[in-house]
Amino acid sequence: MKHIVYLSRAVRPLSDQDLQELLAQCRRDNARNGITGILFYSHGNIAQLFEGEDAVADMLFDKIAQDGRHSHVQKLIDRPISHRSFADWHMAFHPIKSAGFETLQGFLLPHRVPPPPETLSIADATLVELVRLAVFGPDAATPAPQAQR
Amino acid sequence: MQEQHLQDILRRLPAGVATLEGPELRYSFVNEAFRRLLDAGELLGRAVAEVPGPWPADLLGVMQQVYRTGQGHVAKACPLCNDPAARDEGVYYDITLEPICAADGAVSGLLLFVVDVTVQEQARQRTHELAIETRRLDARLRVLSETAPQITFTIDAAGRYEYVSPQWYFFTGQPRTSDLNAIGPLLIHPDDRLRVLYQSEAARNSGTGWSYEYRLRRHDGQYRWMLSRALPELHTAATQPTHWHGALTEIHDQRELSEALRRGEAELRFLADSIPELIWTASAEGFVEYYNQYTGDYSGLTTTELGPTGWINLLHPDEQAGAARLWVHSVATGEDYEGVFRMRRHDGRYRWHIIRARQLTDGQALRWFGACTDVDDQHRLRQVLQTQYDELAQANRDLDTFVYTASHDLKQPVLNLRGLFDELRRTASFHDPEKSQMLVMVDEALTQLDLTLQELAATVRDQRGLSAPPEELDVRHVAEEVLLGLRVQVQQSGAEIELDTDEAPLLTYGRANLRSVLHNLISNALKFAHPDRTPHVQVRSFRTQEGHPGLQVRDNGLGMVLPDEPAAVFQPFTRQHPHIGGSGVGLYLVQRIVSSRGGRLDVASTVGEGTTFTIYWKNEAAEDPA
Repeated sequence: MKHIVYLSRAVRPLSDQDLQELLAQCRRDNARNGITGILFYSHGNIAQLFEGEDAVADMLFDKIAQDGRHSHVQKLIDRPISHRSFADWHMAFHPIKSAGFETLQGFLLPHRVPPPPETLSIADATLVELVRLAVFGPDAATPAPQAQR
Repeated sequence: MQEQHLQDILRRLPAGVATLEGPELRYSFVNEAFRRLLDAGELLGRAVAEVPGPWPADLLGVMQQVYRTGQGHVAKACPLCNDPAARDEGVYYDITLEPICAADGAVSGLLLFVVDVTVQEQARQRTHELAIETRRLDARLRVLSETAPQITFTIDAAGRYEYVSPQWYFFTGQPRTSDLNAIGPLLIHPDDRLRVLYQSEAARNSGTGWSYEYRLRRHDGQYRWMLSRALPELHTAATQPTHWHGALTEIHDQRELSEALRRGEAELRFLADSIPELIWTASAEGFVEYYNQYTGDYSGLTTTELGPTGWINLLHPDEQAGAARLWVHSVATGEDYEGVFRMRRHDGRYRWHIIRARQLTDGQALRWFGACTDVDDQHRLRQVLQTQYDELAQANRDLDTFVYTASHDLKQPVLNLRGLFDELRRTASFHDPEKSQMLVMVDEALTQLDLTLQELAATVRDQRGLSAPPEELDVRHVAEEVLLGLRVQVQQSGAEIELDTDEAPLLTYGRANLRSVLHNLISNALKFAHPDRTPHVQVRSFRTQEGHPGLQVRDNGLGMVLPDEPAAVFQPFTRQHPHIGGSGVGLYLVQRIVSSRGGRLDVASTVGEGTTFTIYWKNEAAEDPA
């Protein structure tokens, strides 16, 4: 099992409908392939962390790297892990019209994104925080307040 | 039979044939093609001028002239058409007019021979247009190739120049008459000459283009770097190309610049790799892209193993979260990064390092440059000194407090003693007058003791500024001063401090007193923080319903068990959490200060959740025992 983090730029801005279709498609494929993680999108910036079995994750990354919808794919980390940190696959972005998105399966508003799971090492959690910052900018990047224990 | 055959041939000829007779030029023979051409019904016997024909306007005159002079005439490529609009379709004929001579040699008629030359004419016109276009293109190409900063050239298969643009002569300073093929190779830098000749020949032999760089001598004798690129002129795939066209571009400055950059970068990298410090650079997004050699030596990990945020893994587990939080903050705001952390060496030992990083904004991409300096020895020494200093300062404060309280607490027994002695003197009688003298001495000693106690208390009070006269204070201001003093503790715990003084921003009180109260309460809140969560300390200046000022300090720390007797919390040397350092006089002092100035201190606490201290600066509840 491994996890991969990458950053990229969309070739053209994605519309609400594009994003919704992408969300549906990825959730379907990822659920079938046992891929979990999170994707951030904002103003053409894309970042994703995904985790899965080595072969599946490598194949997914090859497919992603060749996807014509984005370019400048920069792999930041590709490392074996002992256990998953994400239970599911989610996508976080700012839709132009947020109505209807709130109820969508697997969708998150950027400021609702929970802080990186504690099962990630602090270095990896920092990486996730930094890619989130890189995608959404400093304003929206403040993570949702951690639940009080 | 022969005549018939000939007539037949004439009739079927694809060209129009007609004969005209007599001075009126009447049709005497017309073949099929001619009839179709005129499309005017029966022609035989009619004069040519009567039948409207598609002839050019002047042809009838020419016919008359041929008839008169007996000189034949050929009208080439006549647009022959009835309908002027249809002329554009471009049907062209060659019309041949030949005189027919009678036996006596006199002209008796004309032979008209009309051949369709449309295709030839169109081809001719197209050729003409193409020639014009070619001239135009040629002129354009010449202007372009002669105005472009590059030198353009054409070379044949043997490597001989067929064309070179004038720029070559300007650049090299050679006269136009010079033999290019002879002098060309001589102008190439000797170090590059053989290579260039070889590369060019190899490309020509294999029929491919080339792209190589070499130094060419300029008119001033300086060798300048040039980029030569050429492509073969290919007509069909099968044949070998016979010509190569290309351009020479001067790339000297770019090459020098990139050379300088390469050299500069290599030197910088070498410098960074030679420094016995951990040096790294990161992208604007905060991902480390380069670690110097020493980082690898120190950590025992490669750049790939470290990864974009791997330096965090090197830090002591207790410090990782704080360091990471600070880094994300710096990346988000662009503020300089600075912190002191323990970093793990390859042998597992942690050494203290100052990590500093700054953002370089040179107009291009933002980048972070960071360095980790080993300050382990200094840090340990400083820690020892700091610990000793803290202990001494604490001991000093405790002593002060002890003296202060002791002197205060001894006052009452001394007072009692004096009362008892007064009573003793009144009731007891001594036989020995010297003994009664002792009473006086005791009395004097008691007065002395009382005075000493008072002086002790006053000295401590003055030294600590606790007796300063009240003044109007900005609570926020004083609190910020106190927080400045507690900066290290705040940073280390990562605590969030919330200051809210809007409700009662001003307070008339002794400055040192307020400072002492705030210092003790806030440092307590930090000291007794819950290890599992970010300390959150709320300092609020408020007004009671009666309008009296108050102060509340609330934390989310360990909390404490409140004893049944409230006052016990504030007894000196009582420590709620024995595992955390302290002398236990802080709260006692706070209470002394507050009550000595006529106020009251309240505490509410839940173990594991937090503690709230509330100070009423003026105690309006007079019956309150405190």
